[in-house]
Amino acid sequence: MEKVVAVIMVGGPTKGTRFRPLSFNTPKPLFPLAGQPMVHHPISACKRIPNLAQIFLIGFYEEREFTLYVSSISNELKIPVRYLKEDKPHGSAGGLYYFRNIIMEDNPSHIFLLNCDVCCSFPLTDMLGNFPVPCKTLYTYQYDSPNINQMLVTVEAHKRYSGMGTVLVSAESANQFGELVADPITKELLHYTEKPETFVSDLINCGVYVFTPDIFTAIQEVSTHREDQANLRHLSSFETLQSPTSRALPQDFVRLDQDILSPFAGKKQLYTYETMDFWEQIKTPGMSLKCSGLYLAQFRYTSPDLLAGGDGTKSASIVGDVYVHPSAKVHPTAKIGPNVSISANVRIGAGVRLIGCIILDDVEVQENAVVINSIVGWKSSIGKWSRVQASSHIYFAGLADAQPYFSRPMETTTQSSELLSLVREAVIVEDEVVVINSIVLPNKTLNVSVQDEIIL
Amino acid sequence: MKALILVGGFGTRLRPLTLSVPKPLVEFANKPMILHQIEALKAVGVTEVVLAINYQPEVMLNFLKEFETKLGITITCSQETEPLGTAGPLALARDKLVDESGEPFFVLNSDVISEYPFKEMIEFHKAHGGEASIMVTKVDEPSKYGVVVMEESTGQVDKFVEKPKLFVGNKINAGIYLLNPSVLDRIELRPTSIEKEVFPKIAAEKKLYAMVLPGFWMDIGQPRDYITGLRLYLDSLRKKASPKLATGPNIVGNVLVHETAKIGEGCLIGPDVAIGPGCVVESGVRLSRCTVMRGVRIKKHACISSSIIGWHSTVGQWARVENMTILGEDVHVCDEIYSNGGVVLPHKEIKSSILKPEIVM
Repeated sequence: MEKVVAVIMVGGPTKGTRFRPLSFNTPKPLFPLAGQPMVHHPISACKRIPNLAQIFLIGFYEEREFTLYVSSISNELKIPVRYLKEDKPHGSAGGLYYFRNIIMEDNPSHIFLLNCDVCCSFPLTDMLGNFPVPCKTLYTYQYDSPNINQMLVTVEAHKRYSGMGTVLVSAESANQFGELVADPITKELLHYTEKPETFVSDLINCGVYVFTPDIFTAIQEVSTHREDQANLRHLSSFETLQSPTSRALPQDFVRLDQDILSPFAGKKQLYTYETMDFWEQIKTPGMSLKCSGLYLAQFRYTSPDLLAGGDGTKSASIVGDVYVHPSAKVHPTAKIGPNVSISANVRIGAGVRLIGCIILDDVEVQENAVVINSIVGWKSSIGKWSRVQASSHIYFAGLADAQPYFSRPMETTTQSSELLSLVREAVIVEDEVVVINSIVLPNKTLNVSVQDEIIL
Repeated sequence: MKALILVGGFGTRLRPLTLSVPKPLVEFANKPMILHQIEALKAVGVTEVVLAINYQPEVMLNFLKEFETKLGITITCSQETEPLGTAGPLALARDKLVDESGEPFFVLNSDVISEYPFKEMIEFHKAHGGEASIMVTKVDEPSKYGVVVMEESTGQVDKFVEKPKLFVGNKINAGIYLLNPSVLDRIELRPTSIEKEVFPKIAAEKKLYAMVLPGFWMDIGQPRDYITGLRLYLDSLRKKASPKLATGPNIVGNVLVHETAKIGEGCLIGPDVAIGPGCVVESGVRLSRCTVMRGVRIKKHACISSSIIGWHSTVGQWARVENMTILGEDVHVCDEIYSNGGVVLPHKEIKSSILKPEIVM
């Protein structure tokens, strides 16, 4: 059997975020969702691919930030997982190309490419199943949103149609994603537009792909073409002014969506696979809460042993899907869930109620406190009878350090479906204080109640 | 001696509580507001109390019947068919107030809570020999009230100034009077104001005297003042070292717990809390600056502050009720709900959080 490798793009420290460089002690890919680092979920999915030789994480975070995680996950999965640091951002296609020699070490027949900040069931094997080997298809994986029909572009599609790739796709109405048009019968990718202003299609790019090694040739073509253009432009400074965007891109910066999917659409090179499962992009703290819940729900099928249980006699009452780290101490009179993840060394006191929240390492939640739809940041303390809350359909994070990871600032406007109350690292909420729809930055002590505020 | 209590109308300012019972029957510190006054009157020898009332006199009388015998005091109603202001009801009740004894009688505003120093007032009245005595109390913002301008040493009242823009004094009418029967000759049976029409005339004849009320005073006709009034009242009990105040490791500050109420383990109660008869407070509950009326159940781990919980209501597990939340009778706050200043009419179920003060119909 031919080997397969997987590449997970993890990105780098977010630029232009209002809250940087405040206490940025864990890279976003290691932020816990369902009690596991974000990147753990695509890695687990890759592990299920037959004949997987290696997993590469590509990003521009410092290598030391991933050293510990990469070594422990390699041991756990018995599959080599390596972190490859880019010297600078190259774009997702550019990053792949930059490390082509390492990726091709095992001479794989197929290369999976996943973005770390998408949350889905990653039906990777299905994507590969229909891929005729060898072939020249770029597969897109399509994914389904709750309301719309989702589509996953997989290797399954990849094997069935000759081409260089398959794109996982999903049906969504939102226009903040890359939208694409696929042939309803052949599933060929016919057209691709990044974040269009008008309606193009209800299929969106899920950011999960499988390629044949031909992808490297395609990227090289784009890169060479751009170099030629750049040389031409030297002759005309007028034209440079005309197209500032393309001018701004260095020759080795190649985006997968605009630079590969768009030009290769309709050339019998790329196909789509639609997923009917869940799909979300993890851009905001509110989405991280939702995605944590989706992954917890998935554990019911994939890793039921990770989910906590209890009826309030010897251990706490557990409602729905809950993850509790083995080192956390939860009082038997507490009631936890649904959708709660409790990290290492957390102490949950008597009579505490937790609903829809992420409690990060070393947090203490004291007696009778209530935390609802919130993220509570590392080493924070929630006092007795205090309350950190958002209303039921609003995502609300409290006391968390997650904000810097997410490019979109928290909004309290109606246009955003999320309203976050985020309590960050080492925040102390004193006894009986109420925190509603607020973001609390690190190292603050709150002794009065707040609502709809950002506490600097 | 006799006394007239001005009960008045619907008590709209204390809704939603007064949607269930007439205002004088709303409990304050586990006792209907009007009983605080009646008991204090009885203690100084008042034998007959007349309630000037224009709404639901039957409900009042039915309720007060048992107290008539218990306290050995006669309670009657004088019902207005039209609002008669603050003086008109005195003319209406004239026949009930005047007898052959010629003794002065008390007139009280039913919204006022204080230590009711009636004994001192009687002595004051006898000492000055005038026609009428009124209690005055010092306030921080006299511009919001009717100020009584008086001669400080004797208490002789000079004049009344309604909501003065310029400072003329900081003593206001506390709504407690002791009047000679002759005052009734000055009042016609029509809507009229005692402060504006009757007292100024007596003052002009130098027969009106004011006594500064010792101790606390509060008009508890609206929820915020009701909660403040409870604090002042409990402070006063503390000063008198009253055995009514609860003690124990779970009690902070001044707290009243009715003997039939049950308090669970791991609770923290107080300061300034009154828990009524038959209430059940389950374990891990936090209560501060609040009144919990008869038959209420507070479920585990709930937290209530600065609020009034109406009769037979329930507050769910891990619910948070605060900031002048007023629950009417038989209101049910579901588990994990947050109420910030919700004013909830009787017989409602609250299933979603109230994040900003609002009225729930």
